[in-house]
Amino acid sequence: MPVVEAIGVSKTFGQGEQAVQALKPCTFSVEAGELVALLGPSGSGKSTLLLSLSLIQEPTAGRIVVNKQVLFDDGPTDIDIRAFRRKNIGFIFQQHNLIPFLTALENVALMLQINNVGRRESMRRASELLGYLEIGHRADSLPANLSGGEQQRVAIGRALANEPPLILADEPTAALDTERGIKVMALLKKIAQERRAAVITVTHDHRMIAGFDTVYHLDDGRMTREKQQQHKSFGTHESYPLTRRETTLPCPK
Amino acid sequence: MDLALKDIRRHLGKFAATIIGVAMLLAIVLVMNGIYRGNIDDGIWLIENTATDLWVVERGRGGPFNESSRMPQDSYKSIAATPGVARASPLAIYTAQRDIGGSSQQFTLIGYDVFSGLGGPGRIVQGRAIAAPHYEMVADKKLGLRLGDIAPLGEEQYTVVGITGGAVDSAGNPLIYLSLADAQKVQFEQDKRALTAARAANLQRLERAGYSGEQAARLLPLLSTSTSSINAVLVTLAPGADRQAVARHISDWLYFNVYTTDEESDLLLKGRLAKISGVLGLFRALLVVVSIVIIALIIYVLTIEKIKSIATLKLIGAPNSLIVRLIMTQSLLLTLASFAVAYLLRDAIAPGFPRTLSFAAAETAVTFAVMLVGGVLASLVAIWHALRTPPQLALGG
Repeated sequence: MPVVEAIGVSKTFGQGEQAVQALKPCTFSVEAGELVALLGPSGSGKSTLLLSLSLIQEPTAGRIVVNKQVLFDDGPTDIDIRAFRRKNIGFIFQQHNLIPFLTALENVALMLQINNVGRRESMRRASELLGYLEIGHRADSLPANLSGGEQQRVAIGRALANEPPLILADEPTAALDTERGIKVMALLKKIAQERRAAVITVTHDHRMIAGFDTVYHLDDGRMTREKQQQHKSFGTHESYPLTRRETTLPCPK
Repeated sequence: MDLALKDIRRHLGKFAATIIGVAMLLAIVLVMNGIYRGNIDDGIWLIENTATDLWVVERGRGGPFNESSRMPQDSYKSIAATPGVARASPLAIYTAQRDIGGSSQQFTLIGYDVFSGLGGPGRIVQGRAIAAPHYEMVADKKLGLRLGDIAPLGEEQYTVVGITGGAVDSAGNPLIYLSLADAQKVQFEQDKRALTAARAANLQRLERAGYSGEQAARLLPLLSTSTSSINAVLVTLAPGADRQAVARHISDWLYFNVYTTDEESDLLLKGRLAKISGVLGLFRALLVVVSIVIIALIIYVLTIEKIKSIATLKLIGAPNSLIVRLIMTQSLLLTLASFAVAYLLRDAIAPGFPRTLSFAAAETAVTFAVMLVGGVLASLVAIWHALRTPPQLALGG
């Protein structure tokens, strides 16, 4: 059973003659433990798709199922989407988006506490998680005192804290140099494999393509699937261009 | 996790500076409350602290505070003979600006019959009342005099035998009590050279009018200014006497204006004090409005500064209650802490303030409530804004 199923999901901004179709109907699914890249130039619809999957931005049409829960079926279902996100989806942002007045430890623990985990237990688990992410020694530092890579690790920690089945990452390496970007992507891959989480990453960084299990290419709102032929590590430039083949996409209208 | 307190702890300096800034503004509001109430209290202090039932003043005048009133000194004797009057006592009131206590100060002289007791100093905090007919004074502590000090007034020197606390006239000037005769002397005493020049001028006028030198010298005292007038007569009524009947009798038969203590207070409140109270009241209202606007803006800005964090919280699924608590806690803490600091500032400022500050607990409570409501309303607007913030704002567009 896939963690994410998107069927004919599309997004149109505006109405009538002013309407702009930012995302053409597309269908795809992501399995547990799969690391997926949404690749494409700016304005291609990558972030729109990511926001649609978590219903931060409602799609115009289609069906979205996450962790067996129907979130959208040509319209929002009666699910409490914010509570669902809290329990089932972890977010990683390009600019890390840590709460600036909380320490690294508190940023991670916050995610647990809003899921009703007690203060002491949340601190213990957050501390463990930071250790797993090899940043335990900076637990008491404020985000402003952390490097970009360290901040991103804390952000990953926050996304993982609640052990969600789905992690959505919006250009997590864009604000990092190549070395740190590779480390972060390697970490996401490790998380996907070890924790059996489905990880969907928006990127337009071709350096990072090689390590993904599946790459979806978006161009002008149209999605094509590019299946990786072999697993390589992140930052291996020679693996690109990938073997591109049209799958069932673009999606049936 | 209390996000509001965490945020404050990380930005303690900024939050403290904001509190001090708002507190200074609120302290001005509280001091303005004190000035407003103090102006009224000062205005009627002398009336309320003079143990009398009736104030008798010159016919057709609203004296002795709102308007000057001059009466012959012996008029108090005929008033004393009025049925229903237990005691009548002359009173002289004169506002002066003299060098006293080492600096030029404005004060009001109260001259009273030290033996009848009416009109004497009420709040003696040190020393005693005047016991001798001459050369003793009771002064308010605002003048900076101490017990035993010798203060010159005109040609004479007066020994401070008593100090009052908070004895002021309707303008907030400190009071000096003298015996009636001494007060009249200070009030009417002229410079010797000026007096000689005035006498010579009067003589010349009489001689030019055809009087001989001897006749002119005999007529001269009639042209000089009377030095024995008083400004009011204080009356206490005999037990069981009808206040209105006695007042009507004095008014009809002796041709004076008579006011009860309440009427005398009303004259001041609706006359001299009305305009300044109106101005102070208006300033007070404007200050309250300005303070609420500033507090509201600060609370709003505090929220806007965190709007990306709030968007992130919404995105990761934080419940609205967490965001509401973050904004409301900071708003309440800001308002409460600012008001507490303002209260302390007010109490620190009050003793050295040049005018009397009177603080009514009810007014302070109302001011606090208004500020609190303003703060809460501002935070509700900020919360409304925060809850409408789209979570995708966290993604940077």
